[in-house]
Amino acid sequence: MFFAAFDLPTAPASAGISWPDVALSFFAIVLEGAPFLLLGAIISGLVDVFLPAGMIKDWLPRSKTQGVFAAIGAGLIFPLCECGAMPIVQRLIRKGVPPAIATTYMLAAPGLNPLAMFSTFLAFRNQDPWLMVVLRFGFSFLVLLFLGFWLVRLRPDQMLRAETLIGPARIKPEMTPNPGLVLTPSPGLSLGGLQQFTGAVIRDFTGVLLFLIIGAAAAALFSTGFDRNLLAPIGQNIILGPLAGILLAQLLCLCSTTDAFIIAAFAPFSIPAKIAFLVAGPLIDLKLYWLYRSAFQARFVHALWMRALAATLLLTLLYSLKP
Amino acid sequence: MDRIARQISFFAPAAVMSAWATVMLHTYAVGHLNRLLNPMFRNYVLTAAILLLVLSALYVLLYQPTTETAPSLAPTGRLRQFGRWLVLLIPIIAASILSPSALSSTTADRRGLDSTAGVTPMPSWDAASQDSAKKALAADPNQPVPVEVTDLITLSQSPDQIKAFEGRKVQTVGLFVAQPGSAPKLVRWIMWCCAADAVPAAVELSGNTSGNWKGDEWLEIVGTAHFPSTLGHVAPQIEVDTIAPTQEPDEPFLSP
Repeated sequence: MFFAAFDLPTAPASAGISWPDVALSFFAIVLEGAPFLLLGAIISGLVDVFLPAGMIKDWLPRSKTQGVFAAIGAGLIFPLCECGAMPIVQRLIRKGVPPAIATTYMLAAPGLNPLAMFSTFLAFRNQDPWLMVVLRFGFSFLVLLFLGFWLVRLRPDQMLRAETLIGPARIKPEMTPNPGLVLTPSPGLSLGGLQQFTGAVIRDFTGVLLFLIIGAAAAALFSTGFDRNLLAPIGQNIILGPLAGILLAQLLCLCSTTDAFIIAAFAPFSIPAKIAFLVAGPLIDLKLYWLYRSAFQARFVHALWMRALAATLLLTLLYSLKP
Repeated sequence: MDRIARQISFFAPAAVMSAWATVMLHTYAVGHLNRLLNPMFRNYVLTAAILLLVLSALYVLLYQPTTETAPSLAPTGRLRQFGRWLVLLIPIIAASILSPSALSSTTADRRGLDSTAGVTPMPSWDAASQDSAKKALAADPNQPVPVEVTDLITLSQSPDQIKAFEGRKVQTVGLFVAQPGSAPKLVRWIMWCCAADAVPAAVELSGNTSGNWKGDEWLEIVGTAHFPSTLGHVAPQIEVDTIAPTQEPDEPFLSP
């Protein structure tokens, strides 16, 4: 059982969940995420105004295989945090980037970027840092290849919500994130570009913010209420260790540049359990599940969740079972 | 009635964005942000608050209440949209009012009080503070050396440092945590990005810890540092000489 009885804040340690701490954690997560979400919405607004529809598509490779490698490569070069990525990825899709390629980039950018690798090296500098960096990078790359080649087989209408699925055509007000927000330009103001930019930023920010709030609430509840000591007895187990690592990553919802420091100090976990944590977390967790729901259909997000975790588990189990 | 509903629909985005900006600015101004975010992220919040205010002003300037009856402004759609704005508004205001000044000992226990989180050196244990600690150790052995809880855990990883600090007087500040069945501890929280990812670093207290100390109370402790080893794992300990309540530090969380 994840939670013991829900007690009042004055309850003695280990008696239950502290609701004021949940509020503190929630407040911290949304205040940390909101500026990056706003930055993502501003970049999305600039893309909307200045980037002609279809231009990026012309830059992308025609072959699906090359497209997957290009998306993973872009994730390596252009770091994007999870919160900021959502408005940009949605805008790129509306500007004609194939959804499979944009989604592969969205999955690759948080976990594969150089900052995540550098923080992994720093966090494990007393525990074989190169091994951890190579395993994290290698396993993440393999899982992303698996996901990328699955994504390119899907049709956009199997992945995207109706309001995201409008292609490069001119956006109708009700077919955007936050579909109920109707923007009627003031008469007599010929500020077309600024109006378009402001409208895009407000729609994207308020549209994804709703999902950040829901995701942050789930993350705050579990990261505060879940007793990490419960996983300690199975963290060294050859089979259950990687499963424990994946489960912990789903509940804690950490940023990819921070997660290595937290798990490096978690002594009860074996190396495969720690790698499972580091590979699965940046791909999907409770907070990201809700953020992904802002652009993708629930059925698709569930399938993505299952495949990402299964592939991570398989790889880390194979490593765990090696002689 | 319909006109009023249209006006509310129109001003809702500006009101929500302004409310977020106000909460952000207030949290920054009163210093509560120090309890929520790593210093690196605090100016991002300030910048975001200003941008949200600008966006709110631009929205009111560039747009007007709609005169058409769009499908999303049908009564059910309008109700759903009102609900959406409330979800954007209420949780952030409630959290700003309800969030306490520090995480409690209940959460410390759930996040692992026996973790080795302090193994990563904090900025408090930089070259300058190590140098001043060395000078203090060399000067007067009865004069306590100011250290952080995390510094003691960092020291416990080095045999040379253990030798230098074993039996020496130290002075430190932290949150008091007493759990049934185990020794009382002095805790500092380490924050990597935000309070949600904070992990507790603790040193055990021995000797005279008597007093009517409340859980999660900030205490200043002067005592003797010891580094007992159990099965090769060194866990720092302070044998308490004096213990007294103190003010919450400017930075309640330590950030790497």
